[in-house]
Amino acid sequence: MLNPEEEIRLIREEILPGFQPPEPRFLIPILQEIQARLRYLPLAGLRIVSDYLGMSAAAVWGTATFYSQFRFAPPGQNQVKICLGTACHIKGGEAILESWERELKIKIDETTPDRAFSLERVACVGCCALAPVMAVNDLIVGKSSPISVKGVILKSQIPNKSQ
Amino acid sequence: MKELKKKISLSIDGKKITARPGMRILSAALSRGIWIPNLCFIPEADLPFGGCRLCWVEVEGEREPVTACSRPVREGMVVRTRGPLAERLRKSAFELLLSRHHLDCRNCRKNKNCGLQEIARRCRYQLKPGRFTRENPGLPADDSHPDFVFNPNHCILCGKCVWVCQAKSAGILDFSRRGLECRVSTFAGEPLGESKCNGCLKCVDICPVGALFRK
Amino acid sequence: MKRNIAIRIQEAWEHLQNRVQGGEERKDIPEIRLGTATCGRASGALETLAAFREEISRNSLQVRLLEVGCVGHCYAEPIAVVANPGFPPILYGSVTPGVARRLVRDFLGAGDPCLEFALGAVEENEKIPSIFELPRFRMEKKIILEHAGWIDPARGEEYLLRGGYRGLFQALGMDPREVIRAVKAAGIRGLGGAGFPAGEKWETCRAFPGKPKYVVGNGDEGDPGAFMDRALLESDPFSVLEGMTIAGYAVGSRRGFLYVRAEYPLAVERARAAMESLRGLGLLGKDILNSGFDFEIELVRGAGAFVCGESTALQASIEGKRGMPRVRPPHSVERGLWGKPTLLNNLKTLAVAARVLDQGSPWFRSFGTPRSKGTVVFSLAGKIQNTGLIEVPMGTTLRELVFASGGGVPKKKTLKAIQIGGPSGGCLPASLADTPVDFDSLNAAGSIMGSGGMVILDEDDCVVRTARFFLDFTQKESCGKCTPCRIGTYQMLKILNNLVLGKGSDSELKLLEDLAFEVQEGSLCGLGQTAPNPVLSTLRYFRDEYEAHYREGRCPARACRDLIAYYILPEKCSRACEVCVGACPVEAIATGAKGIKVIDQNKCVKCGSCYGDCPPEFQAVIKVSPPAKLREYEAKSSFPRKLTNDDLRLTNENEKK
Repeated sequence: MLNPEEEIRLIREEILPGFQPPEPRFLIPILQEIQARLRYLPLAGLRIVSDYLGMSAAAVWGTATFYSQFRFAPPGQNQVKICLGTACHIKGGEAILESWERELKIKIDETTPDRAFSLERVACVGCCALAPVMAVNDLIVGKSSPISVKGVILKSQIPNKSQ
Repeated sequence: MKELKKKISLSIDGKKITARPGMRILSAALSRGIWIPNLCFIPEADLPFGGCRLCWVEVEGEREPVTACSRPVREGMVVRTRGPLAERLRKSAFELLLSRHHLDCRNCRKNKNCGLQEIARRCRYQLKPGRFTRENPGLPADDSHPDFVFNPNHCILCGKCVWVCQAKSAGILDFSRRGLECRVSTFAGEPLGESKCNGCLKCVDICPVGALFRK
Repeated sequence: MKRNIAIRIQEAWEHLQNRVQGGEERKDIPEIRLGTATCGRASGALETLAAFREEISRNSLQVRLLEVGCVGHCYAEPIAVVANPGFPPILYGSVTPGVARRLVRDFLGAGDPCLEFALGAVEENEKIPSIFELPRFRMEKKIILEHAGWIDPARGEEYLLRGGYRGLFQALGMDPREVIRAVKAAGIRGLGGAGFPAGEKWETCRAFPGKPKYVVGNGDEGDPGAFMDRALLESDPFSVLEGMTIAGYAVGSRRGFLYVRAEYPLAVERARAAMESLRGLGLLGKDILNSGFDFEIELVRGAGAFVCGESTALQASIEGKRGMPRVRPPHSVERGLWGKPTLLNNLKTLAVAARVLDQGSPWFRSFGTPRSKGTVVFSLAGKIQNTGLIEVPMGTTLRELVFASGGGVPKKKTLKAIQIGGPSGGCLPASLADTPVDFDSLNAAGSIMGSGGMVILDEDDCVVRTARFFLDFTQKESCGKCTPCRIGTYQMLKILNNLVLGKGSDSELKLLEDLAFEVQEGSLCGLGQTAPNPVLSTLRYFRDEYEAHYREGRCPARACRDLIAYYILPEKCSRACEVCVGACPVEAIATGAKGIKVIDQNKCVKCGSCYGDCPPEFQAVIKVSPPAKLREYEAKSSFPRKLTNDDLRLTNENEKK
């Protein structure tokens, strides 16, 4: 993870120059890019974006907090997203969410103390046909079950075993 | 061009009035001294905000009531401000606002000078959330500024302070988050006293309720 | 002058066709097309892809391996079409890495088409039965999804080879007003939900003074339970891009924005690749087909807000603002993006426009019902055998969709209701299964067409719980601007939260109903106006279930977890099988006397895993509601009803072995 100065440098030197000329319509794409690189939006970074785009900082904050994609604290190493769309709901998505909460001993929108996992909900990933669905680091796992949660956690603990 | 300048005549509660084309019912009514309940309407704003949902009126020939702030006037339009359906929607919105408003008139600085009280008085509503149970949002007030205080528990999210701060002043206020979590907020919720607020107090003057008040 | 342009366009088109056809690959080497859209990937398509690659190189075969999108049969993913010279192309379902290796070895290597894995041939032929004989394919009429799943979504050439861009070619040779007349004559209605006539929208946008004008493709498919737009963009982004370009030409715009949901990264990637390909072919950018018409499309990603499906909110979002809808008028066609006239259409509507310009309005009008023309795409999900996407002519009945095409409800359960249109739509009971799907019939029944999400509920699903789910969703997604939506949906949700716990009263139910009406009538935008639909439609058809919850503390569908308990019928338990024990995530099931499995009610979290996993030949796990009923079952049973300390000791010893 970068320290705050490095984060700011990255935003200033690597991200903002890609959005020329500065226009308010680039706000969301810039925030998306920052989050793609840093995994969250640091407050100091938002200030810089507001200066760059000539928008009030309050408006930048207003937009950033409106959209559920953005987060303001770094997530865990493994980001688990539980789909709670309609199909997943009726096929037991809630039970899967609870299984994660039980196994990780955290609640939704929290991160484990060792920062290994964070738990989020997602409205629908559009894989309704394979419900219930969860996404682990953007890899979508279809037809999951409460018990399969343990397997996913185990898998993540095996070093260098990527998909 | 001549066409555009022509006046439009309409009637509101039996009173005949004229209005400029493109005007909306609420502006036309208020400019002729006809009061229709409202909390979020700003005469100067380019487009109506349309958030409070109190200015319901019924237009003859239409099945459903409309908000007076958003509906443009039309030649020969017959408007009633007190139809049963309009009243029902107005009262519903009023009660819903009160269900999330910290009702504490006695200690409120806007007591006797409050938009909610005025509507209750003129519409003969009780100043109570009616069918709903009252919940005080229980948020901390911000009294960090030397001149004024912001108490979000009184805020009804009419958006007037946000508009005036952005259109006429330092632009340090905006809405943040959404839904029930929606608030008027500074950047990252920083205290007003530490923000770039220039102390113009326009937000205080425009606030229809006791959310923003002078120290 | 006009004639000259027409000739120039004609020449450019012929040149393009020659170029594309000349570049066509040799027909004599085998080709594999594997569906790697999101559903395919979630079913392991990328592992299958790797297996194909490995096995091809291991056998030193010359094979063209392509990634395509989705043909709509999500239940059978991963899906591959294998074209081996000498055979008709064959569609295979559930192509695991093992099947992939066999297809390469046995079919491509040794000429055995492995028909045990085949769904059918994709061309009529004499050797192998074709998939078009299956009821699902017979019912389908693919207009929007015509090319989805058959083409490489990154290569415009493949779209052109299947007749793509003929619509734009036709349009460019016409006066823009004629193009609009064609769209109007076809009777295209917006497929984003409301069903507003597309031609009229185009006409108003063209007529309104103001420049520049913009075209927006609305791919903010936020309805949980719907995935048509995702599949379309992942499988055939070209149809959408062609439609947008035609719309741009018709209304006098040179710049389009394709708005795609944040949750669809693959759709974003593929749409971008497709645009790149089109630029290379001269079909996007400056002077398209030598016509002098310029059109550029920019992809904009949403950031996670359901309300941005609403046109004014979506435009605010493109401008970098909070996605809060504004009052209308002015409408977007008069004052949209940056205050300029803006045409905003759903992606499917745009794709349809491309086909209509190619094949003509009469052709399009030959499908559908008098007031709803053409086809409609539904995503079938929930308690249905064949989940996936299906496109049928308007007017097809729900029954045909669920049973003939969807294969009915799995596990011999009964159909209870069909939820259409997601959080804005309604729940129709099984008794209305003969309702045809078209805008007017669905409205009359208390639902809406919506964007096309269709979720099937069976006897195990509770309508109160479903209504609560949707209200919870809309309440979280409300932008917060207007009072009825911000606070009204919250008050409704509070009542529903109580109902699923078995709490409530007649007066609360009345308040719920009254408030539903007030939120519907009183909200500023479509989100609030339609948010009460799931509640109102379920109240209309299933009122008794609402009442059972608070009057008896009973959930008739046995789905509300606070009102049920799970129980294993001792006389039905197989004793030898341990499936439920393995499925339980909290070790609440143990083996009791005589091998019978017993649920420890104190540990049980009511997740339903044991219920779902108990093999169908036993069906030993049941749900009872209200939970107190458990005692009746326990009293009836001649077997010990609670685990004794002895049982636990035995279980522990068994585990140690």
